[in-house]
Amino acid sequence: MKRYVLRRLLVAIPSLLIASLIVFSLPRLIPGDVVQLMLEEKAYGKDLDDLRAKLGLNRPMYTQYVEWLGQVVRGDLGESLWTKRPVLEELARRLPISLELGVLALLFAILIAVPIGVLAAIRQDSLADYAMRSMAILGLSVPGFWIATLCVLLPAIWWGWSPPIKFTAFSVDPWAHFGQFLLPAFILGIASAAAIMRLTRGTLLEVLRQDYVRTAWAKGLRERVVVTKHSLKNALIPVITILGIQVAQILGGTVIFESIFGLPGMGRFLFDAINQRDYPVIQGVNLLIVSVVVVMNLVVDAFYAFLDPRIRY
Amino acid sequence: MDQSASSLTRREMLKLGGTVLAAGAASKGLLAPQPADAQTPKRGGTFRLRSHVAPVHFDPHQTIAFSTMIPLSFAYSRLVKVKGGSAVVPGTQPVEGDLAESWERQGDNVYVFKIKRGVRWHNKPPVNGRELTAEDVRYTYDRFLKIKGNANRAILEMVDKVEAPDKYTVKFTLREPNAWFIDRLASTSTWIIAKESVDQYGDLKRPESVVGTGPWMLQSYEPSVRITFVRNPTYFVPGLPYADGVDITISPDPAAAFAQFLSGEFDFGPEYGMVIRRSDLDIALRRVKGLGMRDYIVVFGGFTAVKLDQEPFKDIRVRRAFAMSQDWREVLETNAWSQGKGAPNPLIPAALKEWSIPIDQLPAEGRKLYEFDPAGAKRLLAEAGYPNGLKVPVETTPGYGPDWMDAVQVALRNWKQGGIEADLKLKEYGAFVSSAIFGKFEKSIVTLRGGTTDPDTYFTPFLPGEPLNASGVNDPKLTEMIKLQRRTFDEKKRREIVYDIQRYASQQVYYGYNASVSAVGAWMPYVKNFGPNIGHDYGGRLMVAWLDK
Amino acid sequence: MRSDPIEVAPWGDRIKDKSGSPNRNAAALAALWRFCRHKPLGALGGFIVLGLLIMAVFAPWIAPYQYDQTIPGARMKAPGAQFWMGTDNLGRDVYSRVVYGAAVSVTVGFGAVLLANVLATVIGITSGYFGGAYDICVQRVVDAWQSFPFLVVILSLMAVLGPGMLNLILALGVLGAAAGSRVIRGTTISVMQNTYVEAARALGAGHPRIMLRYVLPNVAATIIVLATIGLGAAILAESALSFLGFGVPPPYPSWGAMLSGSGRSFMYRAPWMAIWPGAAISLAVFGFNMLGDALRDVLDPRLRGGGGRPVS
Repeated sequence: MKRYVLRRLLVAIPSLLIASLIVFSLPRLIPGDVVQLMLEEKAYGKDLDDLRAKLGLNRPMYTQYVEWLGQVVRGDLGESLWTKRPVLEELARRLPISLELGVLALLFAILIAVPIGVLAAIRQDSLADYAMRSMAILGLSVPGFWIATLCVLLPAIWWGWSPPIKFTAFSVDPWAHFGQFLLPAFILGIASAAAIMRLTRGTLLEVLRQDYVRTAWAKGLRERVVVTKHSLKNALIPVITILGIQVAQILGGTVIFESIFGLPGMGRFLFDAINQRDYPVIQGVNLLIVSVVVVMNLVVDAFYAFLDPRIRY
Repeated sequence: MDQSASSLTRREMLKLGGTVLAAGAASKGLLAPQPADAQTPKRGGTFRLRSHVAPVHFDPHQTIAFSTMIPLSFAYSRLVKVKGGSAVVPGTQPVEGDLAESWERQGDNVYVFKIKRGVRWHNKPPVNGRELTAEDVRYTYDRFLKIKGNANRAILEMVDKVEAPDKYTVKFTLREPNAWFIDRLASTSTWIIAKESVDQYGDLKRPESVVGTGPWMLQSYEPSVRITFVRNPTYFVPGLPYADGVDITISPDPAAAFAQFLSGEFDFGPEYGMVIRRSDLDIALRRVKGLGMRDYIVVFGGFTAVKLDQEPFKDIRVRRAFAMSQDWREVLETNAWSQGKGAPNPLIPAALKEWSIPIDQLPAEGRKLYEFDPAGAKRLLAEAGYPNGLKVPVETTPGYGPDWMDAVQVALRNWKQGGIEADLKLKEYGAFVSSAIFGKFEKSIVTLRGGTTDPDTYFTPFLPGEPLNASGVNDPKLTEMIKLQRRTFDEKKRREIVYDIQRYASQQVYYGYNASVSAVGAWMPYVKNFGPNIGHDYGGRLMVAWLDK
Repeated sequence: MRSDPIEVAPWGDRIKDKSGSPNRNAAALAALWRFCRHKPLGALGGFIVLGLLIMAVFAPWIAPYQYDQTIPGARMKAPGAQFWMGTDNLGRDVYSRVVYGAAVSVTVGFGAVLLANVLATVIGITSGYFGGAYDICVQRVVDAWQSFPFLVVILSLMAVLGPGMLNLILALGVLGAAAGSRVIRGTTISVMQNTYVEAARALGAGHPRIMLRYVLPNVAATIIVLATIGLGAAILAESALSFLGFGVPPPYPSWGAMLSGSGRSFMYRAPWMAIWPGAAISLAVFGFNMLGDALRDVLDPRLRGGGGRPVS
């Protein structure tokens, strides 16, 4: 087990390095001079060069990359080109928001998906199965931003009420703080629910075909016992693995919901940075997300290996 | 301090106004000046506003972003400012003294200002409520003009030196006469800042460094979330401000912001300029009984730049055909903000009512440009040697939003009717802004302009050597006229020259101008003595308004 | 709980068995009928997809107007006899735009999926086949690539490439390749365990021949399933990107742009501007997903495990 984890860790390092290279070079490929963007239409030639030198952008790429790596290893993600505030500071402020949104969304997804998946598996190919599966897929088919817009705008037009969008920090009012995540997390959750439902239904179906389950049936146990006591645990193992991937997707992919619901998370931060060519921020956020994903995968793999002794490499 | 906005000054701001083409007489009634509210002002309450981008930082000498200027307009003062209040007609920029008690021009190049006595800085470290003196003014403009990377410098470029001969007198010496100097001083970025803040923090980017002499003090900044201000108890105008505080919430999504407006979370229209979209007006009227409204023409509008030194736009007939095959009325009608209401723009945006020439006062060839005449355009093209029409690349960016792209669609179709096959080339916003606007494009671009409130800045694209001279204009007659009006202090005479410039420009068609929308300034019924206007000076307008709840 | 086993025999083998005989068509039809009976949801999905393809291919014949044609005097008209789905703020027929939008979605979807799967197949098969250092290196790059959340990569790629339908296809394709390559590699490895592959090698068959003749057909099932679901994902991705300003630019009518652009602006005054493209997106994605699920059940039950971590 320890060897397995160690091996996976070793394998992760080159991935991280390659990822860091991608993270560094991709934003610099984007056309558009960041310095000219800063000065906009008032840019005079000399100012541009001065500013470039001030920001260290006139040095060769290789030098900048190595220097950045060195900083990262020491825990310094640099400063934003625009605000000069440390990237790490901003991330520390925003990561919890994104995580809250992501975790809550996942919770909703599981709450919706697992029961539906289980029921669909038990009543396989029945009308209920079709209906529930259809609903779950429909949840992922309707674009999320559209549902969100309707949920925010229609109540305001009809009743003059809108969901809480003015952000409240946890320290100010914990209940209000969680309240503002509920709606966006729910809508986000609906989309993830379909994938989890599919997986639950699929694995449960397989498990139910196993010999030991047939034995349980033969023993005359009630359906509920067979399913929950004997089958579900094994069926849920693969589901856990998908959670890791889902969290990763949610972490960087919530810019739309953060915009609509006024949540100062990492998605919006990154999106704006891309538009503004704020390289240190783009690099910092990307690196963080990638690291979280890699760690997530590692944890999930270790957990999987722990639960299922057949997997030992 | 925070990321989410800033450099997108142009984009974010212009996105809100963006429609080009179209004309249409502005609606009359609501533009008439309304009497200042006769009731007695009430003290108390907090103004709640929405900004859709967060300020990058708070240093007015290191950005031109409106996302910075708007919050700062609550906390800082200038020598002179534009009047606020419901009696001010939007589009006019009547100037009054802010920190200046009085001022006079001595000769052509020297301005002497007398500062009000007893003006105190905010009682916040590191300035701690000491008195403002002429030395502060001198320091401010010294930094303004000398600091590297101040994109606002062009506003006061004509200043040679600033001196403070005594504690309450400031003397400006200009390099050459400029009749717009006072208007320039009243713009937003020319605030008086404190030396102690710069010394302590190195720059003015941090919210803690925002110490001014304005009606409110910056209380807190939560990045990407909100900016709060609290009343300045020692504000130098007795009795002002009426409101105890100001709350700016950063809410990026327009649909969500409108929903918040409807549910009473904002006191003013959520879009830039405190407006709402006209297409949303009837919903707003239904939800908010007694909604305060005022139409005004926004200063943004589209414009087309072409390469004047190459075919086909070298030929003035082609340029005229290009302009004539545009239907500004259609663009105004299809746009969500205007729903038909707006005005065509000559060189000076129609929003600047006192300086923009009415279209019917243009010479015949100029007036023709504003009539949709595809047949006439085709004729001109044939004359110029393109009997079968013309195919030309047109660059723009989708970064101004879907409303802008809709307007571009209309433009494309209109051009087609006039025999011009426009080959649309789209560029990502950042790439577009950092190149095309400066003249790095193939044949033509169509984009938005606007944001500044004094007419002289709109002449800049005509002066050879200016980075913004995208078309590459080099017309000595025009250059001379522009320089002349800067030297003409008599307003009536200056207006004549400004009108002449617009007449001449309309004949030369160096740039094409499209219409500006007439937006609906909106506010809650309990807000009193508020008059929306062009420009970023929200603080200047709100300091004389009050809440009657 | 039902005990009917689902037929898991690869459909491919069935039809091959009868190759050459005149019963081939009948066998295919019979297989189709069996599919519809056993997987009605999949059949429904297939039906929807077929309708979409017909709309896309025959758009110029089905749509009464051009997608950028403005009809004078017909701005923001509610759905009625002349305009089945109403008109938009520019005076264009929404129904025509939705029909042409199908062509756009199908182009973007198929383009992206084609690119993604070609890349994924090449990477996956070669990686699984050759193994060794090549495999390890490639897998590390794929690992790195896959760690990026989808939206992050897409936004960066679109910013690099600039707006445009072709660039969008490129970006979506490159992104989709990573995940697919993993799965295909997994399938390749298991196919490689078969004795007939060893036999072929013993007989002196070269690498390309083995990969094409033996590995590819068996991986085909996986590819089909990935492609089908990928199509739905591509359409959704395009709509999300339109919201952020990076979708298919005008003049091409994309459902995503119609929904997130002026459709949203006029949501209350002219809801039909957004409802129809929104319904189209939902229906298309629904159809692709249902079809994909059914195909997966039938073609390759190993994939039923869905998103479980592929063994490295």
